[in-house]
Amino acid sequence: MRDLIRLAITLATVATVSALLLTGVYVLTDPVISEREEREYSEALEEYFPGFAEFVSEQINSRKYNIIYDSAGDIMGVMATIKQQGYDGYITYNLAIDADAHILGVSVVSHSETPGLGDVITTDAFKKQFYGKGFYDPLDIGVDVNVVSGATISTSSMIISIRNVLAEVGETYLGLETQEFDLSKIADGLYRGSTDGTYGIMTVEVEVASGHIKRIEVIDHHETVAYFVEAYPLIPEKIISEQKIEVDTKTGATLSSERIVNAVRIALLQGLVDTDRSD
Amino acid sequence: MKQGSVYLQDISRGIVKENPVFRLLLGMCPVLGVTAYLINGIGMGLAATVVLIASNVVIASLKDYIPTRVRIPCFIVVIATFVTIIEMMLKAYQPVLYEALGVFVPLIVVNCIILARAESFASKKPVLRSFFDGLGIGLGFTIALALLSLVREVFGQGTLFGPDPDKIIYVFGLNFEAMGLFAQPAGAFIALGLLLALTNVIFKKFKID
Repeated sequence: MRDLIRLAITLATVATVSALLLTGVYVLTDPVISEREEREYSEALEEYFPGFAEFVSEQINSRKYNIIYDSAGDIMGVMATIKQQGYDGYITYNLAIDADAHILGVSVVSHSETPGLGDVITTDAFKKQFYGKGFYDPLDIGVDVNVVSGATISTSSMIISIRNVLAEVGETYLGLETQEFDLSKIADGLYRGSTDGTYGIMTVEVEVASGHIKRIEVIDHHETVAYFVEAYPLIPEKIISEQKIEVDTKTGATLSSERIVNAVRIALLQGLVDTDRSD
Repeated sequence: MKQGSVYLQDISRGIVKENPVFRLLLGMCPVLGVTAYLINGIGMGLAATVVLIASNVVIASLKDYIPTRVRIPCFIVVIATFVTIIEMMLKAYQPVLYEALGVFVPLIVVNCIILARAESFASKKPVLRSFFDGLGIGLGFTIALALLSLVREVFGQGTLFGPDPDKIIYVFGLNFEAMGLFAQPAGAFIALGLLLALTNVIFKKFKID
């Protein structure tokens, strides 16, 4: 019995002393850490939005948006902090967007992608392809931005995420609208659209009748079949039932799903161009 | 035997004869995990060295007061305390290194080298000798990590002192096509195997064991 008490007292003493020590170090280092993080963030803001007066933070789902105002109270742009799934764990990055919804800069805050392969997302060569791109640019793989071979998942995950964030910021804070999905402006007819996939080009055929998407068919693809069945025909069905392209692509085959959506978008854009010509 | 030479032996034993990486093959997890860059390797080695010395000294001075039956939990609490202190210090004053070492800093707690020294050395020997033992083993660990990360960074990235863009040196010029394999965890195993073979040859030649 006495032995047990001695054991307990020893353990308790060791634990208490250690807790006190840790509290002391925490009190010392915590202000240093938070001050440095704040300073780094405002330095980053100053770099993209020189002379900004203040910012307001907003949160949409897990995406954090800081809306930057100048001293006159006008929006200078938006700084987005995004955490999203990469190839191996989460990628956190900051995206600076100006008031006209153009990308000013991308900086990867933290990631755990494969060294030597997936970490190309931190290189200037990869990030610079986004700079200056805007709300109305397709930001489409193989069209105006490129994935890096050997790091397809890491890089396409960044591209898809940046495209979605830019669309969300443009619509929510900068008052822009995606006209290309106004289905009533698309003439009836059959449209084909193609997009670059991992292993080849995917082509879809979209039938539009009286401002409605009636039918979507993938007529050619080179996707991995095991994944592709997760996206097809699920995604076309979603698009038809919701009558819009911005459907949830989080399936067992997110990349194939994104590709179908892209191809449908490209197909529908032709319809839009055609009506403009006939006007 | 003179006092001084005992301490010298304690240090050199940790670096050469009982080098934790090359001779004992202990603590392989951080060895493979953080050695993609030389700076990270040295940083990890020094962080472990500090913890090792501190825990050795504290455990050696407390050994008469800690009952045998609860010694392991006490050792772990002592080690964990120092690791957490190191972690907070790194985060405050060396943020780049802290980010690079990531999860391997908290994992120093369960680094078997540190617990092994606490159990087999510090809990039996005087404080000063435990200090030098911690220093020796820690330096041995740091040197091994530095060698491995030197090989991996030079061949795997073609650089030195990266990834910090202010200090980075491109050893073979900017157009060098690096051997990506050495930057991968699998490459770490291969590089470690080659270094082990090399040390074995050297040890045999000079009949060190």
